[in-house]
Amino acid sequence: MLRSTKSRAIAIQVLLVAAVLCFTGLIILSTAENLRAKNLPFGFDFLTMPSRFVISESLLIYRTQDPYYWAAIVGVANTLFVSALVALLSTVCGLLVGVGRLSGNPLVAGSCRVWVEIARNTPPIVLLIFLYSMWWQVLPPVNQALNPAPGVYLSMRGLMTPGLALGFSVTGLLCLALAPALAIAAIRWRTARWPLLSAAAVALLAATQLTHATISWPIFKRSNFVGGFELTPELTTVVLGLTLYTTGFIAEIVRAGVQSVSRGQWEAAGSLGLRRGQILRLVIIPQMLRAIMPSMTSQYINVVKNSTLAIAVGYPDFLSVMGTVINKSSHAIEGVMIILGVYLALNLTLSSLLNWYNRRIALVER
Amino acid sequence: MAGETFAPSNVNALRSFGFVIRIGRMLFGTPGNAVLSIVFLAAIGSVLPGLIRWAVLDAVFWPLAPAACRNATGACWSFLIAKSGQLLFGIYPPMERWRPALVCVLILGLLAASVRPQFWRPALALVWLALITTVLTLMAGGVLGLREVPTASWGGLPITLMLTVLAIGVAFPLSIILALARRSGHVAISALSTLFIEAIRGLPLLSLLLVASIMLPLFLPDWMVPDKFVRALVALTLFAAAYLAEIIRGGLQSLPRGQEEAAKSLGLDYWRTQQKVILPQAIRMVIPALANTIIVMVKNTSLVLVVGLFDLISSGKAALADPDWPSPAAETYLFIGAIYFVLAFGIARFADFLESR
Repeated sequence: MLRSTKSRAIAIQVLLVAAVLCFTGLIILSTAENLRAKNLPFGFDFLTMPSRFVISESLLIYRTQDPYYWAAIVGVANTLFVSALVALLSTVCGLLVGVGRLSGNPLVAGSCRVWVEIARNTPPIVLLIFLYSMWWQVLPPVNQALNPAPGVYLSMRGLMTPGLALGFSVTGLLCLALAPALAIAAIRWRTARWPLLSAAAVALLAATQLTHATISWPIFKRSNFVGGFELTPELTTVVLGLTLYTTGFIAEIVRAGVQSVSRGQWEAAGSLGLRRGQILRLVIIPQMLRAIMPSMTSQYINVVKNSTLAIAVGYPDFLSVMGTVINKSSHAIEGVMIILGVYLALNLTLSSLLNWYNRRIALVER
Repeated sequence: MAGETFAPSNVNALRSFGFVIRIGRMLFGTPGNAVLSIVFLAAIGSVLPGLIRWAVLDAVFWPLAPAACRNATGACWSFLIAKSGQLLFGIYPPMERWRPALVCVLILGLLAASVRPQFWRPALALVWLALITTVLTLMAGGVLGLREVPTASWGGLPITLMLTVLAIGVAFPLSIILALARRSGHVAISALSTLFIEAIRGLPLLSLLLVASIMLPLFLPDWMVPDKFVRALVALTLFAAAYLAEIIRGGLQSLPRGQEEAAKSLGLDYWRTQQKVILPQAIRMVIPALANTIIVMVKNTSLVLVVGLFDLISSGKAALADPDWPSPAAETYLFIGAIYFVLAFGIARFADFLESR
């Protein structure tokens, strides 16, 4: 009896694997046939050929004579840049809104609730397209730019902020290498309080960099701004829209996290004479962090995935750059393989990094 | 006691005074709260009057002529009223618009009916199957004297609703198989299922849609290549199946092992055990999470515009392109956002209601 079930199980699995292989083989054959009929060659050689298309904006330097692979890397950098900005901003906003929803002040709680409900129940792409359509309806032309804070200008052309013109020096580069090493050492040996040490390292880095760096302020000259850091309408829309959206989700995670910390913790901290703000910062948030880390991980991965929506407003993220690459080179299959490979690699890296962090902060029960 | 000294009207006045005091204490009880309240009131006060002026006082509701909107400083709602047919149903032939309208009513009606737990019987699945057949026949036509309309002319809200319902309808049975396969003891089966689920979940939906629209024509022989609607549906279905499978797996894991052992000891085989004992309990456990996934799918259908399907956003863009009208983009996208909001918010409230039961 045992042998028969066992052999049946093996037979089923062999059949299934064979069926999957057959199916894959059929698709490969049919694809090869289609490619031959359309006279499309297969191969990754095209990546080194000059791309000859324009990427409207990029973090890395890109010229039209650069090869396709550089265009793809420029796209990845843009995707990472947008994702990092959105993750950072929405974590900060999400913490505030999530705690705000629990506020005893009905005005604060209500406003935060409205934000969360709108963000959670509207497709992000509608949000992005709506915001993008507002640039030309609401904002003034560049010569009458709004100036909400010193050095910050908002107009139809985009958002100008003070920028940091980095001058790289030997000490600066040394510091750049030293800071992570210090941080790792501090974590590894847990000698002192490692956040303090790594913070000191980063501060040191900032100090040495700042001596070589100058802050460049945007100045309006004749018809445009000179200097400063420019965020185009497309980039600003993507960052703003995705931040509004992701904040809604992070706020709900934070709210659930705060509520998961038992009442007794509040009372115990209160009886020690801590004020409300102190209780939140010293007692509740560290415990909450532990509870919310797994959900936050999936939110950060969602941010990377949602950054593909940049295509809707014309910001050249990795997916939209690869779309152009496929159109220009007509190497669709290779292009799609690169797209799938890069997103899988990005998300797997991110999730293993965050899981590693999660294990680090997890409560060790003895 | 108070009743003896105060007239009833005074008691009421006192009560409402107490209410005012309570609100006042909530808003201004502590210095921190007072500062917060003042900041929020100031922010609301600086935005609200302008918003009301734009949306109501200076807005144009009537007449449905472009000239009135050109001179107005407020919102141009008359554009939405005049273009409502195009916004909701896209480029579907105007004479035949009653068909997509009926489709929307049918789908929303059955969704609302399916919400009631007393209708949760196997027959409901059959009703849905009948509905899907009816809906597809109504949209495509070509039989029963209905004019034939190709999928390329389908558009607007029916696309959103049909894609959601069809994708989830096909994905649900698929996801049950995937979830069971992932938990199966057979190494090859669980490995294949895990590979599929994790690969789909690791990819953005937009990339899946692009892959489906670029790759399906290359993968398949010419005579098998499906149209845009089916391509988008394939991508959405695979996506939904992977996410639903993980939710159902969560439900399966939450059941104690004893359930399966008890069923086995009654002499039930594997499939009968799953069908009669395990799945009904597991699915009941995860209904709130399933409702959440449905919301996500409603929102996700908005992405099909990048593969050239004529959903609500594309219809909006097409309507805005009319040169006779000033193009009121903000109003149009607010309207589209509001439609999605009502759908998603409705499902969310339903999920809350289920969770509280």
